[in-house]
Amino acid sequence: MSKHDRLRAKAREVRLAQERAERRRKRIRIAIGAGSLVIVGLLVAIFAVVYTSASHDRTTASGVLVTPANLAASGAIPVGQTSAPVTVEIYLDYMCPACGKFEQANATELDRLLAAGTIKLELHPMNFLDSRSKGTNYSTRTANAVATTADQAADKVWVLSKALYANQPEEGTSGLTDQQIADLATTAGVPQATVDAFKNRTFDTWVTNSNDAAFKAGVQGTPTIKINGTHFEGDVYNAGPLTQAIEQAAGGAS
Amino acid sequence: MATGLLGRMHRLRHASGWIFGTMLFSSCLSLIASFVLSKEAITLAADPNANLSCNINAVISCGTVGSAWQSHLLGFPNAFLGLIAEPVVITVAAASLAGVRFPRGFMYAAQIVYTLGLIFAYWLFYQSMFHIGALCPWCLLVTLSTTLVFSTLTHINIRDGNLFLPARLSSALRTGIGFNLDLLIVVIWLLMIVLAIVLKYGDRLFG
Repeated sequence: MSKHDRLRAKAREVRLAQERAERRRKRIRIAIGAGSLVIVGLLVAIFAVVYTSASHDRTTASGVLVTPANLAASGAIPVGQTSAPVTVEIYLDYMCPACGKFEQANATELDRLLAAGTIKLELHPMNFLDSRSKGTNYSTRTANAVATTADQAADKVWVLSKALYANQPEEGTSGLTDQQIADLATTAGVPQATVDAFKNRTFDTWVTNSNDAAFKAGVQGTPTIKINGTHFEGDVYNAGPLTQAIEQAAGGAS
Repeated sequence: MATGLLGRMHRLRHASGWIFGTMLFSSCLSLIASFVLSKEAITLAADPNANLSCNINAVISCGTVGSAWQSHLLGFPNAFLGLIAEPVVITVAAASLAGVRFPRGFMYAAQIVYTLGLIFAYWLFYQSMFHIGALCPWCLLVTLSTTLVFSTLTHINIRDGNLFLPARLSSALRTGIGFNLDLLIVVIWLLMIVLAIVLKYGDRLFG
């Protein structure tokens, strides 16, 4: 290769490198343009979402306390005949697995004692496990459904409550959808108009207040059972001990 | 483009002082957040129902996040890792600000370790967002500052050619940084996270 050829080759190489650099700069400018557009789009989207969710908040009833009708004097949801001598209070969260176990073990006995007029129940629905349903607030949604039923179709509260336990989702999952809860209530015999009212979430605030009141009153977790106001400390996960305590209380009362 | 205010800002952004300054600031934020989270992990261990300062509502709650198994993956609170690691980053940033230039291998190792830290931070963010279903403000601060430290460290390592990359890739990355593509990417990334948070939790975040 002559000196001239070498110089030519070198010049070509430099030119190619310059062209490559130019192409790269061009690509980068395009990337910057596209990136800027993406940033603008993201900002608009963020503001849109924040704006709609903020205005959404104002239009829903959240924050307004509406108390269900037909509540017991304690502020809980009553089940059974008011004349029954023994009052069994149940603090529960429909997401709580232990509540499900309690229900499984004792539902038959509670049904029998309700039918016999020995006991009346007072349900204190709580929602502290809202954080355990992947942000769907399962506890509040179900408690609101029960409160709505108490308000409009009080005799269906207990069957709905049992149906919710029979179909209880695992803790930490997003739980049943609103539609599934509605279907379940319909199957349980809750009137359609009442089921349709679930979605208004009328009693969300009441549920939260009920939850906070329970903690303030010293409830430490769910299920907490009180018999005639006295905390039941026995085994709640097997049938028997609770029935015994109830019958003892009934015997003492009569 | 190297004239006027824009030019001055451009030079400032690529100066060691600015980069290591940002790194120092971000790692201090991380350390503070780790300290608060460690303190709360201890409070929570003593009393699982303790009412923490940042339990604001159902969505913003470090109590919920702190009690999840993901928050002590290695058998102790994750925040302890921050207490261990962030002072090292602070030392490196402060030493660099004072003029120390660390060997290539050192910076390369730092990049690898910090990348692992970043992956861990984002795994936690993902878990908190989609599995625990609650956010904690101090954890979000860790996510943010970890991202900033990572981006400054990467910036410096690409600028100084510390990453043992092939020559062409290295020069392409350097050109990209010269055009502030890294800044663009970080801004887009952070905005995407903000969007994801408001999309998922928007209506309850302000409730």
